[in-house]
Amino acid sequence: MRILIVEDDLEAAEVMDRGLTEAGHECVRAPDGEDGLAASRAGEYDVMIVDRMMPRMDGVTMIQTIRREGDQTPVLFLSALGEINDRVEGLKAGGDDYLVKPYAFAELIARVEALSRRRETGSVQTMLRVGELEMDLIGRAVHRQGKEIDLQPREFQLLEFMMRHAGQSVTRTMLLEKVWEYHFDPQTNVIDVHISRLRSKIDKGFDKPMLQTVRGAGYRLDP
Amino acid sequence: MRLPRLFRTTPFRLTLLFLALFAAAASAFLAYIYLATAGEATRRTDQNITREMRSLVAAYDRAGVDAVNQSLIERAASERPFLYLLMKPDGTRISGSIAESPLEDVRGAPSRASFSVTDYDAQGRLVKHPARGFQERLSGGEILFVGADVSEDQAYVVKIVRALWGAGALVIVLGLAGGLLVSRNVSRSMGALNDVVAAVRNGEFGARATVRGTRDEFDELSEGVNEMLDRLERSMAGHRHAGDAIAHDLRSPLTRLRARLETAYLDVEAGKGNAEEALGQALDDTDGVLKTFGAVLSIARLQAAGQAPDQVLFDPADLAADLAELYEPTCEDKGLEFDAELTRDLQVRGNREFLAQALANLLDNAVKYTPAGGAIMLRVRRRSSGEVEYSITDTGPGVPDEDRARVVERFVRLENSRSEPGSGLGLSLVAAVAEAHGGRLELSEGPGKVGEMGPGLRVALILPRPA
Repeated sequence: MRILIVEDDLEAAEVMDRGLTEAGHECVRAPDGEDGLAASRAGEYDVMIVDRMMPRMDGVTMIQTIRREGDQTPVLFLSALGEINDRVEGLKAGGDDYLVKPYAFAELIARVEALSRRRETGSVQTMLRVGELEMDLIGRAVHRQGKEIDLQPREFQLLEFMMRHAGQSVTRTMLLEKVWEYHFDPQTNVIDVHISRLRSKIDKGFDKPMLQTVRGAGYRLDP
Repeated sequence: MRLPRLFRTTPFRLTLLFLALFAAAASAFLAYIYLATAGEATRRTDQNITREMRSLVAAYDRAGVDAVNQSLIERAASERPFLYLLMKPDGTRISGSIAESPLEDVRGAPSRASFSVTDYDAQGRLVKHPARGFQERLSGGEILFVGADVSEDQAYVVKIVRALWGAGALVIVLGLAGGLLVSRNVSRSMGALNDVVAAVRNGEFGARATVRGTRDEFDELSEGVNEMLDRLERSMAGHRHAGDAIAHDLRSPLTRLRARLETAYLDVEAGKGNAEEALGQALDDTDGVLKTFGAVLSIARLQAAGQAPDQVLFDPADLAADLAELYEPTCEDKGLEFDAELTRDLQVRGNREFLAQALANLLDNAVKYTPAGGAIMLRVRRRSSGEVEYSITDTGPGVPDEDRARVVERFVRLENSRSEPGSGLGLSLVAAVAEAHGGRLELSEGPGKVGEMGPGLRVALILPRPA
């Protein structure tokens, strides 16, 4: 995956670059919005990671500009702020996701990879398939090895999200944001409990567990 | 050169400006009075001289030079205020009350002029009197001069001029004094305000302007400044308190973090292998520290904003149902009975995100402190006052009466809860959210003691009836 990192904190950009490169991605760095704009016009990227506050041209302006020019590359905004308004403003400007600094690196990678997947699902899907697992989005039914699995509505949404991001790590925060649409951090392990309930439904009685816990990151649904 | 303070004040400068304008107007007025009075006196004198001249000329035309001569002698002896001189055509004196014509061109005719005549006063001193006179050549060639002593008129005019100067001086002195008085008052008020500003600038945040109770604009300004300083001070106290509290609360995790990193470093150096675990724990500690920062920041922003942003009208039961769904499995996992009692079709105005976080914090606390076998109840109801109340009741150990006010404060954690994870900011954030919605937080005893359980805690987040 080709990733454009637009970040004025060069050390942070360096760390990001290293981590993403180790995870198998190719990174290009730009130190501010203007350079970022030039880089985004010059090349094709799968995801852009853009800091909101930068000298010369801030991230919001840069993304508004490329969106006007028709560039639909998924954008992850980074910000040291983190109030609800900042996030809403960032998403309005054309960002696809928003991450507050400082963040866990696992969170960054999970979100970047989730964003890259978003583009591939162009047509409206009615059926999701991951390994033995089948999800009928219209009939709201889930089968594994042809056996129907009975899910609560929220469990269905949770599994749908995991299936759409199969093979990728998703963090607890991402699940809370994307499935429950809350943007805070519960002190207790509420998400883990929901996952373990889901796991008991889709993995219990089958020889191969699909829903994996990724240490230090979150969860992953493997085929 | 540096002017004394008073002379640099705005009111004083304004006073000077008005004084200058007023003085100019007064000067014009006084000049007019002077011209009117002095001019009038001269005109009257000239009229009298002309009349006298006419009667003498008439006498001459009727009876010749001797009659005039005779008449002059008579008149000079009388108490008339005129000066006479009859001269031959070559200018030599025939008769009159003065020796020679004060007019230079004796042959010129007719002419008039101002001049002075010398006389002796009662004490025999030589004095000069201002006078005016005309001179005409009579039809027989003789020259007749008639003049008048105008010293009395002149003295009158001089008196007027003096009075005018006096009046002018009075105007300036009074204006200046008034201006100084006004400026002193104004600059005293301004000075008091300036002193307050200077004191605050120097770090004395307790300084306040005096409100004199006159209800004028200075009082208004003083009140405004005081109010601003009050808010500033409260906000600064909040920040300072938060700063102290953060320092206090972050010290132990940071100390622990440092120790772990150091141990890991020494272990790696010595070739021992549990650095990975130490680093993992160090990361966890760091996350804890960051969470605390995040909570402090949220509280500070809410308190600074005064009002939660992006408020919308919604059914409070929906939000409660969402959270119940989120927390129910956790309760079950921990062996807690969870119940939700939600009154439908109510309305509240608020920021869903902040309220959700507040309720989540309360549920987190309830789950954390209620031992297995206990129960948690989430309830939404309308109070008789029309307010909407979210309440969470647990059967945990509760909070003693005397500590209830305190636990809402930042970073306050009761002794028996120190072992639990958490920043000590949960309830403070809930209180801040309640305040940012014009609502409040109420803590009371739960259902009471039942065997080992209880007495429990009931926390109510009360929101105002939407307008």
